[in-house]
Amino acid sequence: MSKVILLTLTVSLLRLTVPIMTMALGNMFCERAGIMNLGAEGMMIAGAFGAVVGTYFTGNPWLGVLTAVLCSMIVSGIHSLISVEFGGIQNISGLGLNMLSAGLTSFLCRSIFNTGITPSVASIQTAGFFKNIPVIGHFLSQFSPLAYISVVVIFVSWFIMSKTVLGMHIVAVGDDPKAAETAGINVWRLRHFCVTVLCGALAGLAGAYLSIGQLSFFMEDMTAGKGMLAVIAVKMGRWNTKYVVAMALLFGFFDALQAQLQINNVLHIAPELIQTIPYLAGIITMLLSSRSKDNPRALRVPYVKNKYKI
Amino acid sequence: MMAKLSRDKMLSVLPSLLIILIAVVLISIILLATGANPILFFMNLFKGSFGTKRGLINTISKAVPICLSAFAVALANKVGVFNIGVEGQLVFGALGSAIAGIYLQELPAIIHVPLALFGGILFGMLYAYLPTWMYIKQQANLMVVFIMMNNLAKLFSTFVIIALIQDPASMVTASQPIQKSAYLPMIMTSPGKLNISVFILIAVAILIYVFFYKTVYGYEMTACGVNGEAADYSGINTRKYIKWALILGGALAGLAGAIEVQGTYFKLYDGFSPGYGFDGIPIALLSNNNPLFMMVGSLLFAALRVGSNTTQIEQGISGEIVTVIQGILVTLIACEYFIRYIAKRSMTRKKGRRMTI
Repeated sequence: MSKVILLTLTVSLLRLTVPIMTMALGNMFCERAGIMNLGAEGMMIAGAFGAVVGTYFTGNPWLGVLTAVLCSMIVSGIHSLISVEFGGIQNISGLGLNMLSAGLTSFLCRSIFNTGITPSVASIQTAGFFKNIPVIGHFLSQFSPLAYISVVVIFVSWFIMSKTVLGMHIVAVGDDPKAAETAGINVWRLRHFCVTVLCGALAGLAGAYLSIGQLSFFMEDMTAGKGMLAVIAVKMGRWNTKYVVAMALLFGFFDALQAQLQINNVLHIAPELIQTIPYLAGIITMLLSSRSKDNPRALRVPYVKNKYKI
Repeated sequence: MMAKLSRDKMLSVLPSLLIILIAVVLISIILLATGANPILFFMNLFKGSFGTKRGLINTISKAVPICLSAFAVALANKVGVFNIGVEGQLVFGALGSAIAGIYLQELPAIIHVPLALFGGILFGMLYAYLPTWMYIKQQANLMVVFIMMNNLAKLFSTFVIIALIQDPASMVTASQPIQKSAYLPMIMTSPGKLNISVFILIAVAILIYVFFYKTVYGYEMTACGVNGEAADYSGINTRKYIKWALILGGALAGLAGAIEVQGTYFKLYDGFSPGYGFDGIPIALLSNNNPLFMMVGSLLFAALRVGSNTTQIEQGISGEIVTVIQGILVTLIACEYFIRYIAKRSMTRKKGRRMTI
């Protein structure tokens, strides 16, 4: 009996970690390059909506994933335009994009489908191609193919950040853009790349996973604080791939605990109180945080092009 | 001298006007893309909010909580921090006022009304205390904590309503009605309801004005916001002022929540606030902390909220458009630097042309 519960919890934990982790890795690139991204929530929900709309109109969930990535890239592109090109206030831009995406997705959802919840579309919730592997095949096929893509993403981002010149350049740009520019790095191009392409694509994946990787529809405000958990995971993981993944697993655990408690409700606690678990976990981990020396030094400091100087 | 003054004034107002103009254009584009008529939309908004007596009174009474949240945001802005936790504090304040309104019984109205208002203020302040403490002691990212606290407040108040104070007779999730003695007195009841919260708002505005412009504390608080480091060196305790700005912001938000409970609904509905706390953000930031502009801005936002009902009925445009407008405004405010640059450049270019002529 306890074995079954443990297995369900593990599966649930891994499933719920994926969106937080993917988004956190995207945010890690963003923050490493010196751009704070509070718009994670908005980028994710844009992706989730894009995935469902894309699938609804084309019928192919993989094209839906592509639409999701494009939608998130539009949002992250706006963020990068404001914070990299125009030297705007990064926190406010992220907050505004959160509000804008949440509002726009539910507005469009209501104008296209007439309700706050979309009809069910084709989804990619299971990986059928693992079925034939003996022993672990059944276990592996329970996860969405998008989850496997995000596992690949972990290794790729670890490789980029610690083994390549590109990773060194990203760190340099985030720590001291002026020195980086003197050394011949195109600060703005690299930052645009990190925010728009890397962060946007990963946010799109995370969003697509939320809507068509876990479920098969889009719902208003379906991210429910996952983007913010990703932001916290990056800070607590000290901008290091390994620790960021570990923090995402921790938040995934609390999310899974919450979901399982709600389904089984063995303890007879009110569901609203159970739903607060991930938020409480986020706030408590922030309480335990301290200022670390790994902090990208130019984080949140706008680096304005000469031609825009007043 | 006169010309220079007006030019500086222009420069301080022009970015805000530009932002509003761009926002209107963007919303029109979105409406056109979804097949709605933007001109009709703005006309319906105006008709619904200012066109009828009832609508006008509705707009004024809706503007009160929005304006209080704008004050809360502006207070924090004054010391150079960004307060987005108003929504959560407002919900929590409403909870406090509802509890005081339900459980304190057999009190005369003259005592019960202020007591319940104070309950809201206290809950708002308490709810602002934790993020403030985390920001000052742990240097946690204030915005992240505030966003988490906003979500938490909503869930927690739903929990309290369902588990502790639910009205079993009600069709929707709502608390028991508060005692009659805690009702805010009405100025008029027809054609629309208007309670004395307008006077409370004006009193708060005067208090804030006196505090900032006539007392040493207000002066030192302003100094914190203008240049925190310099203020610190000159012996002003910046941390103390940041703490108090955030906690007083919580008090204002709590007051706004209490007014909604005691003056509008007379019970605590689950999800009664459609985002008054978030309305305050663009208003405070666009009006450069000017109380008069903030009142005008709150009226406009209240008009948006009231009028969006009309557009929903007449044109089928969902009320979510208000959130979209909020988002567009806040996002544009983030480009403030760039917009100031454009404004400055356009002004200097005009001046240059005049000189060549």
